[in-house]
Amino acid sequence: MRKIQFSPPLLTLLPGLTLLPVLFIFLKGIHNGGLSIFSSFIEASFHPALDAIVLGSSWRGLRVTIATALVSWSISTFIGLILGIFSSSIFWKTFNAPSWAASITRRILAIPRSIHEILWGLLLLQGFGLSPWVAVVAIVIPYSSLVARVLSNQLDALDHRALIAINQIGAKPFPGLITALGPPIIPIIASYSGYRLECALRSATLLGIFGLGGIGTDLQLTFQSLEFNEMWTGLWMLGLVMFSLELVLSWCRKNLYRITKKYQFSFILIPLTLTFTTFCFFWLKESEIGAITNFEWHNLSLPTLVEIESAFKELPLLTLIGSTLILTFLSAGIAIGIPPLGLMLFPSRLEVNIQSIIWGILRLIPPPLSSLLLLLFSNPSFVVAAIALGLHNIGIMGRLLKEGIDNQTDRKWHAMKATGAGPSASWLYGYMSSQSPSYLAYASYRTDVLLRETAVVGLIGGTGLGWQLIESLSSFNWAEVTVLIILYSSITLVGESISDYLSQFWMSYTTKKSTASHSFF
Amino acid sequence: MIRNNLKIFLLTPVITSLSIQPFATAQSQETLFIGAIPDQNPEKLNRLYNLLSNELNKQLKVPVKYVKVTNYPAAVTAFRTGSLDLVWFGGLTGVQARLQKPGSKVIAQRNIDKKFRSVFIANTRSRLQPIKNQAGLKALKGKRFTFGSESSTSGRLMPQFYLQQSGVLIKDFAGKRAGFSGSHDATLALVQSGSYEVGALNEQVWKVNILRKRVNESRVKVIWRTPPYADYHWLAQPNLDKRFGKGFTSSLQKALLSFNKQSKSQEKILELFGAEKFIPADVKQYKAIEKIGRQLGKIK
Amino acid sequence: MLELTGVRVLGISTDRLKNVELSVGNGEKIALLGPSGAGKTTLISVANGSLKPHEGNVLWHGKDLSRISSRHRAAIGTLWQELRLIEELNVSQNVNAGALGRHNLIWAIRNLMGLIDSKESLTCLEAAGLNKEMIDLPIKELSGGQRQRVAIARLFRQRAQLLLADEPISNLDPNLSNKILKLLIGKENDITIQIPESVIISLHRPDLIRYFTRIIGIKKGEIIFDLPTEKVNSSEISWLYK
Repeated sequence: MRKIQFSPPLLTLLPGLTLLPVLFIFLKGIHNGGLSIFSSFIEASFHPALDAIVLGSSWRGLRVTIATALVSWSISTFIGLILGIFSSSIFWKTFNAPSWAASITRRILAIPRSIHEILWGLLLLQGFGLSPWVAVVAIVIPYSSLVARVLSNQLDALDHRALIAINQIGAKPFPGLITALGPPIIPIIASYSGYRLECALRSATLLGIFGLGGIGTDLQLTFQSLEFNEMWTGLWMLGLVMFSLELVLSWCRKNLYRITKKYQFSFILIPLTLTFTTFCFFWLKESEIGAITNFEWHNLSLPTLVEIESAFKELPLLTLIGSTLILTFLSAGIAIGIPPLGLMLFPSRLEVNIQSIIWGILRLIPPPLSSLLLLLFSNPSFVVAAIALGLHNIGIMGRLLKEGIDNQTDRKWHAMKATGAGPSASWLYGYMSSQSPSYLAYASYRTDVLLRETAVVGLIGGTGLGWQLIESLSSFNWAEVTVLIILYSSITLVGESISDYLSQFWMSYTTKKSTASHSFF
Repeated sequence: MIRNNLKIFLLTPVITSLSIQPFATAQSQETLFIGAIPDQNPEKLNRLYNLLSNELNKQLKVPVKYVKVTNYPAAVTAFRTGSLDLVWFGGLTGVQARLQKPGSKVIAQRNIDKKFRSVFIANTRSRLQPIKNQAGLKALKGKRFTFGSESSTSGRLMPQFYLQQSGVLIKDFAGKRAGFSGSHDATLALVQSGSYEVGALNEQVWKVNILRKRVNESRVKVIWRTPPYADYHWLAQPNLDKRFGKGFTSSLQKALLSFNKQSKSQEKILELFGAEKFIPADVKQYKAIEKIGRQLGKIK
Repeated sequence: MLELTGVRVLGISTDRLKNVELSVGNGEKIALLGPSGAGKTTLISVANGSLKPHEGNVLWHGKDLSRISSRHRAAIGTLWQELRLIEELNVSQNVNAGALGRHNLIWAIRNLMGLIDSKESLTCLEAAGLNKEMIDLPIKELSGGQRQRVAIARLFRQRAQLLLADEPISNLDPNLSNKILKLLIGKENDITIQIPESVIISLHRPDLIRYFTRIIGIKKGEIIFDLPTEKVNSSEISWLYK
């Protein structure tokens, strides 16, 4: 028997193997007791409540969510761009500063993003009370740091010969930097920030589910009281916004080159965005009728070292870390493995379109809701949480994979068809193979995201660091909160470096430059 | 051209921040902000609290605004930070809030809150028999069990307390843990479906669901009623008299206590609250909750 | 075996192919001559079924090519101009990809794991003039000529009856060109495997036509002449390139 080789396309399918244990446990606990509730859930999707109170309340919620997303997105992009420049090696090099300056800046900037925006939101809520700005700041903190990471990576990966040439002729460092690196980086920034806007909308919704206002709040409360007709009103409205945003952004990505070729245009875009943000800023103020809009710090009684030490000893830390990691790996396996498996087994145009629609719905339903829904069918286990988290991310991975495939040539696929290979094998060899390195690069990035996201479903499974953190927060036990936050963020920091390493490995796997929409994750 | 655009680009945030100023100082009138822990569906809470705001506004002659709060700890925090003046708390959250904001006043509760109960419900397929006395809770060992929201008094704290009293710990349940469905309705749905064999919830919610015929009684039944304990209550900020004038807190209390079924709007409010009337509440009755909260680690 | 009647392929301003009539018989070795842009690649795409003509029919052993099963399509092998090797896989996996038409999806996945017996792919590799040791190399590490041979090995592995080759020697030096052509036409001496009986090879170098039995000249999407090699004279060829 020969040694098994792990070729890239094979590696995209392998995570699908996690399905075996997951489905085994899930199906073992499955029952039909939740059928009537589930059917009323499905039925309600065709009959969303349309009376004025529900419509009005959903619209108000949606306004808050959209405004929160837009304001936090533009602020975080702005801050992220500045921080990104400051944390790039090329910036420090231009000023003849030692190279460790950049790496220290990077390391410090990794801390804000090591904590999921939900946790930031819940923490800030404790300090600042109810305010629509809590959600905004909760998103801005990790997002700025994420944008900074991507920008600095991209800046350093650019071809620096033009910059060297410009500096040789005696240009001042900063104008030199902008002139040489501005034009190539702008399409990348534009494409990436578009992607961040989608994320911001999802995050703003999720923050609502955790009690920070907006449409998410309505979704959560109506769902929990099983008022499905009311819930679908909100969900469809959110879906409409989400899908139109996705359509607009994917159009922009496709025509990005043409748009950004007009260098001037990019500069008009920035004040335009800022003006728009200002508008949203007031819109958000306006939307939270009755809410208290000031944003000030209210003192918390900070825990003493002794308390922290005893919390450290009392919490079952190893179990918590273990369950967090298991949850991450299972959900990542599902999220990464299913889109290629599904497309491989059902590659016809019609089947692909059906899968796209399913992915859209999966992206729309936030994981805390889907986990409760799954729980109606299966006995509780951490697997339910993993599936819920995995399903949501299938929606994201699937769309990305399809976008990548749509942007590549179909020549190899034709070549495979012409050898007489069947549709599945042709798809696997002709499409997936070329797509696999960038898909794997994105998958390792996504696993890193999932590690943070386990916080949002821990509640249902009653497992993981995220769940324990929410429990400690609701007990106002600051010593435990401190220990858990430090622990959680150290794990995600380690996770991030591993994922960075893998991601870079796969990016450099093919010598060809991969399509713009993928290169920055 | 680029230079000009850059200027605009740099100036916009400055302009933005300048123009915020007048807006920020526009609010000056004292408003009474009321809120509630989100233990019911938001549409009902919206209706209920808008009615209540109008009624209080009529009686107290101050602007009253209802602020939607979306989770239990957020309500506590909002009270601590002074974002909310009058909050409808559960037993545990009320105690948490009072401890974090010394001097705040318990001003009223419903007639049913003095002797509130939780019920333990079981899926019929679990073959669990009605439990005669508290020691019988031992039968729940090894079962799949769910609470409601993690900060709920009737959905978590008291049930967990009675379980613990009779020697059943969380780790005795199947999978060595209990679920947290998030709400009373969800607990009911999950136990009825059979995903969890047993669950604990607010007795009032159970009764309302029976009345609305949302319970399939061949699937789920009550196996135990807890002993009575004090639960929900109105909690007011300590500084209301200072802000709204002397005696405001007591007129607020009087207003709530005066609600009766003669007035149409008041009747509606009481009905939505599921109460006959509001009665004065005594701080002392929550001593037990505080003790239990500390015992179970929900209060530090 | 292959028959094209009244084939027309529309282009943006002009037709890419118009009124093409072509019949290929057993054992024929056909050279497709013409300047770049004449429609050679289009003709090959139509002949292997990856491009459906807007008008006309393509018949394979009397059956409509677009209707026959993928398994039977494997009888037509194509050597693409850009080779279309899968860069992410190694040599043996690429060679085995030629046999996908005869195997199921499980086999395809096992090939990705490197679990397919290498005997057959080794034979094809050697027949294509490559060293045994190259079998586990990634495609990225090969030179242009080596890649060409891997693509040919893949074709041998496919066991096609008819070979279509699109400019297989356009990027090769003259010495190598001769070798590759001989390989494709089956004039290499030590070949031990089944090679395609008939070939259609597109070229733009008229000096190599001596290897073929039949020459087809194509220009602006139309067949200009279709003659046995001995009847082709230099004036026809020079007119083709005028």
